[in-house]
Amino acid sequence: MKKILRFSTIWLFMGVFLFSSTVMAADTLPVGVPIPMTGWAAGSGADYFKGIKMAIDEINESGGLLGKQLEIIRFDSKGFEPEVVMQAADYLCGQKNVASVHAGWAGWGQDVRAYGKYDAPFFADDGSQAAVDIFKEDPAKYYNIYQTTDVGVEQAKSMFRALMALPYEYPNKKVVIINTDDSWGLEVGNTLEKSFKESGWKVAKRETVPYGINEWGVILSQIRRIKPALIHVEIPSGQENITFIQQFLKKPSNAIISLGWGITPREVVDALGNSADGIVGEMPSGLPGPKAPNAKAQAWVDKFVGLYEHQVPAGAWIAYTAVKAWAHAVAQVGDAYDFKAVNAYIKEHGYEGELGLIKWDQNNVLRAQSGAPVVHYQVQGGELQPIFTDPPLTPYQGSQFLTPPWIK
Amino acid sequence: MFSEDTILLFYEITDVIIAGLSTGSVYALMAVGMTLVYGVTKAFNFAYGDFFNMGGYFAWILIVGLGLEFGGYPVVLLIVMPLLFAVGYGLEKLLVAPLRKRKDWENKVMMMTLGLALFLTSLYMVVFGVRMKSLPPILEGTWEVGQLVFSYQDIMIFVMSISGILIFAWVLNNTRIGMAVRAVAQNPVGATIVGIPKERIFATTFAISTVMVGFGGILLSQKWFINPNSGGIIMVKAWVVTALGGMGSIRGGLYAAFIIGMLEAFVGWMFGMSYGIIALFVLLLATLVLRPQGLRGKGE
Amino acid sequence: MRLKHMIAIIGVCYGIMAVLPIFVGDIRFVMNIMIMCLIWAVVASCWDLMMGFAGIFSFGQVAFFVMGAYCSGILAIEHSVPPVLAILMAGLFTAVMGVLVGLPCLKLAGPYIALVTFGVHMALQPVLRGKIGIAIGSGGSVGLLTIPPVSIFGYSFSSANIVPTFYLTLLLSLSCVLVIMFTIKSYWGVAFLALKDSQDFAMSLGISAFKYKLMVFALTSFLTGIIGAYYGHFYGVLSYRMLDLDLFSILMVMMLVGGLGHFPGSVFGAFLVVAGSELMAPLGAYRAVTMGALVVILVLALPNGMMGLFIGWRKRLSAG
Repeated sequence: MKKILRFSTIWLFMGVFLFSSTVMAADTLPVGVPIPMTGWAAGSGADYFKGIKMAIDEINESGGLLGKQLEIIRFDSKGFEPEVVMQAADYLCGQKNVASVHAGWAGWGQDVRAYGKYDAPFFADDGSQAAVDIFKEDPAKYYNIYQTTDVGVEQAKSMFRALMALPYEYPNKKVVIINTDDSWGLEVGNTLEKSFKESGWKVAKRETVPYGINEWGVILSQIRRIKPALIHVEIPSGQENITFIQQFLKKPSNAIISLGWGITPREVVDALGNSADGIVGEMPSGLPGPKAPNAKAQAWVDKFVGLYEHQVPAGAWIAYTAVKAWAHAVAQVGDAYDFKAVNAYIKEHGYEGELGLIKWDQNNVLRAQSGAPVVHYQVQGGELQPIFTDPPLTPYQGSQFLTPPWIK
Repeated sequence: MFSEDTILLFYEITDVIIAGLSTGSVYALMAVGMTLVYGVTKAFNFAYGDFFNMGGYFAWILIVGLGLEFGGYPVVLLIVMPLLFAVGYGLEKLLVAPLRKRKDWENKVMMMTLGLALFLTSLYMVVFGVRMKSLPPILEGTWEVGQLVFSYQDIMIFVMSISGILIFAWVLNNTRIGMAVRAVAQNPVGATIVGIPKERIFATTFAISTVMVGFGGILLSQKWFINPNSGGIIMVKAWVVTALGGMGSIRGGLYAAFIIGMLEAFVGWMFGMSYGIIALFVLLLATLVLRPQGLRGKGE
Repeated sequence: MRLKHMIAIIGVCYGIMAVLPIFVGDIRFVMNIMIMCLIWAVVASCWDLMMGFAGIFSFGQVAFFVMGAYCSGILAIEHSVPPVLAILMAGLFTAVMGVLVGLPCLKLAGPYIALVTFGVHMALQPVLRGKIGIAIGSGGSVGLLTIPPVSIFGYSFSSANIVPTFYLTLLLSLSCVLVIMFTIKSYWGVAFLALKDSQDFAMSLGISAFKYKLMVFALTSFLTGIIGAYYGHFYGVLSYRMLDLDLFSILMVMMLVGGLGHFPGSVFGAFLVVAGSELMAPLGAYRAVTMGALVVILVLALPNGMMGLFIGWRKRLSAG
């Protein structure tokens, strides 16, 4: 028995090694997808992957790119630890020689350094000023790095604009801001606090919380005493937002609730259903849906919903668009490995997406623009409904802001 | 007599105390199984938090996966608890018992369970997906007393966890098997001499602890949801509670659970939620420096 | 195990490593894995010295690693200390921290030591991320993104010139491992073993448990801090996310694969596990499932890890 166990262990070891070093199929064009498949970021990673997969399948079904089928090469980038990100870059670009990398959220600067060593176009959804600052250190070296969303500061400003533009009379000028203690949460929280103060609001409470808080009793009792007109919660994860709303609704106060990015993980509306009605939030680089602004976009939304059986989560559409933008550039240049030309094309021409032209700015950041706007939502009838697109801040066609049912 | 602000402050403090009590009851339920296993078998189980999630996932399979329509939670508990007992018993026999004969076996068990934790966490991800799963609430609605609001869900969690612990204590003190468990905990050699089947007691204890923590998992998952990644942090919480109370002391664990629940609530209220974990470890360190065996643990 | 055998195994392991760049020097992906092997080999060995030899069930190794990395990074960025000096200072800093953490631990029993040291690990994350961390320059939640590479006489060792950097890592890693080896084989090592087997008896022979346990805390945290600092300078970026449980478990697997208390098994284990884990990275969640299952099986089937297997084979050979 002991002997058998011992031998099986050794064989297991060897098997794993052999299995891992599988040989790549020839005559395909490899595309790198370093997305967290385990750990705390795996949830949002899965959403990006849906968009990327959809784009690549579409390209392959229509005959591939330059006559070659695209092949997805995945890498588990876990929690964006420096060594893991570096390893992913060296594996995908150095070892597998991928033609481009589509990462979704990939970190806050470590990704720029890791992929900046190579030339293959790298698309990330960091939304972080720190990542842009690294780019600015050496724009010539990092010329292949593209951010597919605006930075947290700008997104927060957009949130503020939308909150102020709501067709709703705030009973007072007190706001409570709750945000996570990671770079995203702090960037948004700080910007909001500043914006509110500048326009004469009182930030009655600012709470920075760690991930994993599910007991909100203490904070909610403080909120009840403060009686704010507005509560903004910025936690980019589903669970905390759901427990917050559920516990808030047990004895709601007369406040507009804004969940920021936290409204986009599908489980929030799935778990809360109709009880979430009235909550507002936003999605950066979003495609408004379920009712899209034009026929092309509507076809896209319908296709996505048909494939995955739920509405579009944050990141899926822009990840899709990034793949398409790259593929378009490659088709124009005629050589996927002429990185200089491909990058130059992407930078110069941008891409004509479902909502119109998208273009990266001089820091290779896809600033909020009409081709890829920040979409502000309200939950109505248990589903996200767009109410504004920004910039410019425009009420969404046929939409209407409804006063939340808990406000008396 | 009192200004409105004072009254509101009073309500707020009451709310904080309620939050502390309800967290405390949950911690008690989490820790009691761990302290039992440590007291009886001297085995430390790192996969403890994943058994917590196992309870949640079993309930999810029944309620959402299979769409169980009849009976609701009582039926779920009736099905899941024996299942958890079987899993716990089987795992002990299969994985822990063979190690017990070895030199340094306590450390080996710690490592084995660390591997088991990694395995279960990632298995949940593979099987159930990376997204959290939600369960319907046991009870809906709230009970309002003036400014204070109690949700039936919270009351239910409090009542059920306290009664769970009481039933557990009763089993330990009044049944044959409970007495055998205590005998093994106090003196394994003596227990063997009087003919108590030590091996079976070890396995039973492990199984009971799995049931306790899985019960906690079901109870809390319907409020907090099931997150495949949460096993680690739940284990750490249970561990801190257990150590503070004195590993192996059930009553100590109970005190510690409520002390920590209150501490977290008040620190969160006064300084902010992110200071909770720092306060926790300061308290733990201070306690262990003063009383190395924990609050109610046995001395050397 | 005799010193001769230890030297032989370490020699073979590092010898193979030293030769490999001739064949794979131009494949950065593989070179990176090898550098990671060398770095984690030191951490795993330090942990093994602590748990396997000194019998202290400490869970603080990753925390010391991160402390060293941050200390050196902050010194280099905020105070423009040259990296080589910063690495040394980081080592001394973590050694002091090691003693500070060790002091309360000496009175405690196994699982309590594990908890206190793990508490340091858990508390480090909010500290680095919070106001205290930002005040000392940890970069808060963003972390450190601009750590300069090690440079000696104007030559900078970074991932841009990977082969020389690899040999520098090899040198550093080898010296750390040799220090550990000689410690184990010195009077200290014997004292550790005596203390572990029977503390009372060892103390009656005049071995001070207090002194030796503190020393082992100081030494292991010094070496861990040094290699952590080097890690920071090599990658140029650091984040508190390293304190998540993933890395912690993988390090544990390294020791187990090698064989706890069977130095230099942990070196060997680190090489195998890092390579295996990296090769499995494209598998995603299945990688973690495999790793977890491997630990369970290894503890049950190979109680002394790969090293135990070697010893078994050698015995059989000499017997037959």
